Amino acid sequence: MDNQNKLWRIALYGVLLYAAVYYLLPLYVMVTTSVKSMDEIRAGNLIALPMSITFDAWSKAWSSACTGVDCGGLSGYFWNSVKMVIPAVLISTSLGAINGYVLSKWRFRGSELTFALILFGVFIPFQVVLLPMAQTLGWFGLARSVAGLIFVHVVFGIASTTLFFRNYYVGIPDELIKAARLDGAGFWRIFFKVVLPMSTPIVMVVLIWQFTQIWNDFLFGVVFSSGDSQPITVGLNNLANTSTSVKEYNVDMAAAIIAALPTIVVYVLAGKYFVRGLTAGAVKG
Amino acid sequence: MGALAIKNVTKRFGDTHILKGIDINIDSGQFLILVGPSGCGKSTLMNIIAGLEAPTSGEVQIGDRVVNDVAPKDRDIAMVFQSYALYPTMNVRQNIAFGMETRGVPRKEQDETIARVAKMLQIDHLLDRKPGQLSGGQRQRVAMGRALARNPTLFLFDEPLSNLDAKLRVEMRTEIKQLHHRLKTTIVYVTHDQIEAMTLGDRIAVMKDGVIQQFGSPEEIYERPANLFVAGFIGSPSMNFIDCHLAEQDGAVGVSLQSEGGARFVSLPDGQRFAGHLGQKVILGVRPEQIEVAEEDEPALLCKVHLTEPTGPDTMIFTQINGKEVIARVHPRAAGRPGDSMRLKLDLGKVVLFDPQSEARLG
Repeated sequence: MDNQNKLWRIALYGVLLYAAVYYLLPLYVMVTTSVKSMDEIRAGNLIALPMSITFDAWSKAWSSACTGVDCGGLSGYFWNSVKMVIPAVLISTSLGAINGYVLSKWRFRGSELTFALILFGVFIPFQVVLLPMAQTLGWFGLARSVAGLIFVHVVFGIASTTLFFRNYYVGIPDELIKAARLDGAGFWRIFFKVVLPMSTPIVMVVLIWQFTQIWNDFLFGVVFSSGDSQPITVGLNNLANTSTSVKEYNVDMAAAIIAALPTIVVYVLAGKYFVRGLTAGAVKG
Repeated sequence: MGALAIKNVTKRFGDTHILKGIDINIDSGQFLILVGPSGCGKSTLMNIIAGLEAPTSGEVQIGDRVVNDVAPKDRDIAMVFQSYALYPTMNVRQNIAFGMETRGVPRKEQDETIARVAKMLQIDHLLDRKPGQLSGGQRQRVAMGRALARNPTLFLFDEPLSNLDAKLRVEMRTEIKQLHHRLKTTIVYVTHDQIEAMTLGDRIAVMKDGVIQQFGSPEEIYERPANLFVAGFIGSPSMNFIDCHLAEQDGAVGVSLQSEGGARFVSLPDGQRFAGHLGQKVILGVRPEQIEVAEEDEPALLCKVHLTEPTGPDTMIFTQINGKEVIARVHPRAAGRPGDSMRLKLDLGKVVLFDPQSEARLG
């Protein structure tokens, strides 16, 4: 019995190890390739360790690689993304929190229907709304601007942020709101002093979720922006698709890592809240 | 002076009638209990008094003003909730201060109030802790502290003890009663526990299905229950209900009782008041402690003991009269063993009769 148990353990760890290697291998290839020189890449083996480490590809990807006709690297796109993602995440998260608070604690006639309609937004394929949204942005004078992208991401973020917050707030006992009302607190005071301080786990979840969604978005970026307002995902696409005499794999890899780095950093820094936040709703408040 | 007057209050959700015309009047300083099984509407009534829900019709008066259109915070009330509803992210001090802060009470006065309340409830040493670091009993105290800090004209307690373990519940019950004696503030207290109702209340409103079945002092409710429901709900073990026929024998009105050991006609004191029901079926209500062990020379009913339940001070005897299981509460030394026969008699001065159809008390 004991031996059989041990065998199981070994088999289990074997499978896990295999899966881990399988998923980590692309990252390994990306990192090693990005620090190799072109000569080494041409001569060597894809999964060999680099013989000498050079960050030339990184600096080229950041500041001088060609993305179409410009050759200014990804830095401009990167800062566009930053300027887009921070306001979009903060606004969509705030609105989601307020929506969730209203839909769970200040129910009104038709609030369930309102919630159901908002939920539609989670399931609508984005391609469906590209044309009407382009028209709307034009009316608002926001076409091809970072502000326009922020607007689009806020509108489409509200559905999921509302869902997250509403489901979290349903778990907060109503008696707490009643107690605060008897204490004389109104709508906003209850929100800021009682509800929001209890929301750290779900705020972290929504921040990570929205950051990842908006940072990684390509479709809205490529459709609703142009020139100097394009986000990094579009920049990466342009960089990889710009044909020069030779394909610079090391620059492509470095650029891809630069594009993915912020979401990885956010997840590593706040990831523990993510799991905790997703399970917190199940625990009695 | 009237402290709380509820006049013909109803509450409806669609076709569901939660409250069907509630009338309650209590004086300042009284301890009112709303008691009943779950779903009877007592919590809804409490929420209507607090202003957290609006009545469909009727009037609520606190002190000498009608408060139907007054916001909860302006009703000069404080409430203690079943789950305590302490703000989890604030420490005890902040929890107590939150209401005062909202109302803009000066800082110095806040500190004085917190000190006074904390001392009264012996929670001084807990002021800097979060609710999560407190035991159930301590949370209960903090919740009461938060209400006390308000110094209201009316306290509302919504099943405040039901989340505590049995021992703590009894202790806190006594504390609440002491607190009431000291403060003399009017209290409305919702519970489903009939022992809490009896021990705490000056006035008890027994509710069922959105209707007040009886409103009166604990003694009235216990000794002269208005109907079968009240009689069965208040008292533990419950009142025994024995099916009988009301008959007349040698000029006395009474009922025949048949046990497994014999039969006897017992005449009811002042029996003529039931004369209108002669020959009809009635239900005889006898509390367990009203069945006693008869002395040697007294007429008695020979009853077979089916089961005994010793509680320490008393022993419950399970037997049968008129085909119904009956419980008698007797002194442990007088209790027989299962299988024995005991000579029992009823304390007829206190028994009550109910009409089996209307379920109302007769006479």
